[in-house]
Amino acid sequence: MRTILSMFAKSPFKPLVSHIDKVNECVNQIKPLFDAFLSSDYEKVESIAKEISKVEHKADKIKDDIRQHLPQSIFLPVDKRDFMHLLSAQDDIADAVEDLAVLMRIKNINIPDALSQPLIELVDYVVTLANDACGMIRELEDLLEASFGGAEAEKVEKMASDLGIAEYEADKMQFLLAKRLFSLNDLSAADLFLLNELIKKLGGVADQSEKIGKTLRVFISR
Amino acid sequence: MDLNTFLMVFAISACIYMACNIGANDVANAMGTSVGSGSLTFKQAIYVAAIAEFAGAYFVGGHVSDTIRKGMLDPSIFEDAPLHLVYGMIAALVAAALWLNIASYLGWPVSTTHSIVGAVVGFGIMAGGLDAINWSKLWAVVMSWVVSPVMGGLVAFLLFKFLTDQVFRRRNPLLYAKRILPFMIFLVCVILANAMFYKGLKNLHLDFSFVQAIVYSIVFGIIGFLISRPLAKRIPDVPKENIHNQLEATENIFKYLQITTAFYIAFAHGSNDVANAVGPLAAVVSILKSGTVAMKVAMPPWILALGGGFIVLGLLIWGRRVMETIGKKITEITPSRGFCATFSGATVVLICSKMGLPVSTTHTLVGSVIGVGLARGLPTLNLGIVKEIMISWVATVPFTAFLAAILFKVMVLAFG
Repeated sequence: MRTILSMFAKSPFKPLVSHIDKVNECVNQIKPLFDAFLSSDYEKVESIAKEISKVEHKADKIKDDIRQHLPQSIFLPVDKRDFMHLLSAQDDIADAVEDLAVLMRIKNINIPDALSQPLIELVDYVVTLANDACGMIRELEDLLEASFGGAEAEKVEKMASDLGIAEYEADKMQFLLAKRLFSLNDLSAADLFLLNELIKKLGGVADQSEKIGKTLRVFISR
Repeated sequence: MDLNTFLMVFAISACIYMACNIGANDVANAMGTSVGSGSLTFKQAIYVAAIAEFAGAYFVGGHVSDTIRKGMLDPSIFEDAPLHLVYGMIAALVAAALWLNIASYLGWPVSTTHSIVGAVVGFGIMAGGLDAINWSKLWAVVMSWVVSPVMGGLVAFLLFKFLTDQVFRRRNPLLYAKRILPFMIFLVCVILANAMFYKGLKNLHLDFSFVQAIVYSIVFGIIGFLISRPLAKRIPDVPKENIHNQLEATENIFKYLQITTAFYIAFAHGSNDVANAVGPLAAVVSILKSGTVAMKVAMPPWILALGGGFIVLGLLIWGRRVMETIGKKITEITPSRGFCATFSGATVVLICSKMGLPVSTTHTLVGSVIGVGLARGLPTLNLGIVKEIMISWVATVPFTAFLAAILFKVMVLAFG
């Protein structure tokens, strides 16, 4: 008669943190990926791309596992839809990193010098932003314990707000980089298109990271 | 061996069988949250449960036992054949215990309380038709089956919201937890003491008036308060900037509170569930000794001790493994949440015990846990259990009623 046992189902919050760890692994490959791309080491680009794919696949398995263990009868301390949105936002970051790798494998491009410095700056900024977003998810355990209130909630609120500001800055950097890209005269149409896609994807990583902060804010406010 | 001795032995054996069943199955649920949250080791839980169950059964178990013994049936229908009431009570014990065994084999969450009440009603109807039942009392009992989990949930919900507000949402939760600890201890001490002092110590030939009981309980509570306050102050502080460590230290404070409520709920469980084994036996003893169905004698203490003792035995021999399993698997409950659920469940059950209402401790505890979950205290809550419980309600009473009725008829035919 293990009645009391059956009331406690597997918590989805722990696997959510495992998922963000895998996403974080992908994010940490962005810088090496760009370094290899900019130094024209296309073999390295290929190998890093493979690595990203493997980690992204592991993340997908965790995501599916979470989704399967949330039947109708399970009650969460947060809105289940908000929880799913959070999981999707995390997943979208990993997908965006994978897309970056795919873009870089389409064509070996020689990046003009005028572009490489601001590009590296944007990459660094976005990677820091994404890392901060992943860090927010690791606060979930304490957030649950504090019942979404108190000093912990304030800490997470501040992190979310900082993330929002950083995303705004990233948007500005992305815009200036795009202006510089389109002011170049001696770029082939293919290179132009692909580089623009790369920049947009980087911006996408920043957007999805901000979404994580926004969703955690919703957890606190409801 | 003459018939009376045989019936006495049969009744005592059936009571012991039922008590062991209760100890083996029910107690683990009551102690589960305390072990799972890490507040008590599995061994400590066994010791606490053993002492508290017996104390609850012996000191406060009489009221509910009286309800089962003579509150639910109209004894006048057995006036011409008092032995029939004996057969019926024995049949009820056997039927209820059998159902418990079947249900636990199948893994169903059934209640010992519902089983015995269903069985008693069953043989009563078989013996004297619908008039044999004291319908107003039975109605009150059935109402309490619905009300107790709901009240457990409500109290747990409010208590957790209170703790969230007063402790967890503060800048310095550890400080507030240390402040609140003595007040909670005071509360538990007062409730427990009052349960024992008010109409509870007849077994020791001490009968306090309501005012006396309240005063002594408050004194007891103050003692608890004064002991726990300096102990709480001695707990090392954590700088409030280190939020994670603060929260951890706060939970550690609730571990002490959970130890108290573990005792509290085992006590409440003993006070309510001993009746399920002992109520029928007390009826049998009464009738065989006096030869009439009028049960004017107060509940003999030795019967309560017998019931309490064998509940403990059942726990020690068979219940430990269930408790170990439950304790190992419930890791998502933290001491503060466990405290809320246990405190609420225990309070509701104990109040029902004082009112003589047999309720299911397990179902009340389920209600309390749901209350904490709805207050956003748990990372997950499986509400599927509610449906399972409702199904077990619907299944238990008809089955035990039917089985007890059959067994009663068999005994009447066999012994006349």
